Amino acid sequence: MLEIINLKARIGDTEILTGLTLSVNVGEVHAIMGPNGSGKSTLALVIAGHEDYVVTDGTVRFMGEDLLALDPEERARIGLFLGFQYPVEIAGVNNAYLLKAALNAKRRAQGEAEVDAFEFLKLAREKMALLNMDPALLNRGLNEGFSGGEKKRNEILQMAVLEPRLAILDETDSGLDIDALKAVAKGVNSLRDPEHAIVLVTHYQRLLDYVEPDFVHVLSGGRIIRSGDKSLALKLEEKGYDWVREAASA
Amino acid sequence: MNTTAIDTGLLERAVDKLPADALMPLRLKALRSFSETGFPTTRHEDWRYTNLAPIVEVSNLWLRDAAAGIAEATINDAAINDAAMEYASELASRIDAYWIVIANGMVHKASLTRLAGHALRGFDAVSLAGDDLMQPASGDDPMTRFNTALLRDVLRMTIRADNTLEKPVGLLIFDDASDGAALSQTRVIIETERNSRAEIIEYHASSGGHPHFANAVTELDLASGAAVNYVRIQNRDTAHFQSGRLMARLHRDSTFRHTAFDLGGGLIRNDVDVDILEPGASVELYGLYLASGQQHIDNHTRVDHRVGPAASTEEYRGILGDRSRCVFNGKALVHRGADGTDARQANHNLLLSEKAEIDTKPELEIYADDVKCSHGATVGQLDKSALFYLRSRGLDRDEAAQVLTRAFAATILAKSSVQAVRNHVESLIDQRLQTLAGGLS
Repeated sequence: MLEIINLKARIGDTEILTGLTLSVNVGEVHAIMGPNGSGKSTLALVIAGHEDYVVTDGTVRFMGEDLLALDPEERARIGLFLGFQYPVEIAGVNNAYLLKAALNAKRRAQGEAEVDAFEFLKLAREKMALLNMDPALLNRGLNEGFSGGEKKRNEILQMAVLEPRLAILDETDSGLDIDALKAVAKGVNSLRDPEHAIVLVTHYQRLLDYVEPDFVHVLSGGRIIRSGDKSLALKLEEKGYDWVREAASA
Repeated sequence: MNTTAIDTGLLERAVDKLPADALMPLRLKALRSFSETGFPTTRHEDWRYTNLAPIVEVSNLWLRDAAAGIAEATINDAAINDAAMEYASELASRIDAYWIVIANGMVHKASLTRLAGHALRGFDAVSLAGDDLMQPASGDDPMTRFNTALLRDVLRMTIRADNTLEKPVGLLIFDDASDGAALSQTRVIIETERNSRAEIIEYHASSGGHPHFANAVTELDLASGAAVNYVRIQNRDTAHFQSGRLMARLHRDSTFRHTAFDLGGGLIRNDVDVDILEPGASVELYGLYLASGQQHIDNHTRVDHRVGPAASTEEYRGILGDRSRCVFNGKALVHRGADGTDARQANHNLLLSEKAEIDTKPELEIYADDVKCSHGATVGQLDKSALFYLRSRGLDRDEAAQVLTRAFAATILAKSSVQAVRNHVESLIDQRLQTLAGGLS
């Protein structure tokens, strides 16, 4: 589904991704872990198409297409979703309006009929109930005055409504209390089936207690230096990132 | 001949050609004081960024005809009334209000009857006489003097004590320049008696292919406990000019909310002057200006806090495209002894083009000790991270840009609590934003 080969990317004069290779198949859940500054968020933003990052080498294929040739909106419409580490607040853009516009943009692109206001509300309310979200948040400005936890739940709500083929969640677990973490995990697990794939970008192992990954990768210095199963995450928690770095350079 | 000044010789002869009615003594007095100063120039601090030369030019053109006694050729009241009434009925189908039509400065008599039986009284110059006519005339600036010197009619309206109007009063100020360069002087005087509550809509529109300068002056007096929610919508032809001045006087515990939408016009200057005369008054001033092409829109506001406690809040927002130019100057003047004053000002601008220009200056002058004041201004482009966020959700670049500009404008629309105009103004804003977004890269 997602095939990244030798990806190199920089922002300004700083090279951040230095030759990253990763393959994600449909139905899989991957966790990408790594210390601060290792390039985790950059990887997520490059895949989503952020214009500040320049890809200097390598290829990224998604659903058989050359992903790097597509605009961010085209990537979204073929089923890519990025859950932001820092979701933006936009006063005056209604949360429900954006959610419906996003859903219909995707449905149009995939040749499906648009949903009407009634169908949309039914769907949104159903997903909000799953995430224990206050339905009133639907009528607020996008993330306007939301708490940190509400913003992250809102990202997961968008994911749940859009049902992307591949969801990349960038530190969605950071700054969440245990209830919010469980709600987010519930949302993520609801997307987990043989039709979809999920990449969790995270600093800590905590989320992985609730969403069990099939694969764990360690990112350091802009590339993946070690891959394994879920036991790797536990070992990291115990021994720290220096252990992998030393092992990799040995 | 000096083309940057009004030809006062022509002005004198034009005034002389007007009917010898109850307004004449006022005209002559205003003519004398206007002649001493003429129009302000960019050497005046308050007019630094707004050059009135195009307005002087169209004024002199019209004055030449008026002085020769052929002004009637360019003020065809009957024809204008037809165009104005057509516009008014269209507007009335969209906004439910007691509509009064003022066409090229003349009050449409029949529309005055709409006020009868609604805790309202309305008069025009013919039904009033002498001293009653202009009270509480308070303006003493060149534009108001020019307005008075050439005045043909006045609308004077009273909202009776302890009454709440069921519907807004709508003033359609319609000007037409189909038959040649034209000038119009509109004068409105509104008195709200104690504890009355009213919503007022001042709607400016124009038609005709020739140059036009509309000079409108509104005086508003709020008695103790009165509450006025005022909306001004300026939707003139983009080739036409306007100077609009609103002077509000606030007495004890009165509440004044003013929301201004500038959507059209070529060269536009608005002045809102609020005078807080007694304690307990509350003032809110909001404005939204959308400019494209070569439009020039200048908003000046001034709040005089003469006594405290009293509060004034102000927020103006602008969206500028193409080569448009806008000016914002908001002044709060806290006089000596006006303790307990709370004055806030903000001006935010979105520039959609590198060639657009905004000159913004929130100003505070404080001569009292116990006050809370704040002011700030921002000028920026569309937020890049917000654009990326929306695109990552599947909205294309244009759609994302339009959603963001709309959101920027929506905060001012939300401030206007006159529900009757909400949908109409929203659709006007959407239309304008589509023009503006057309210039986006």
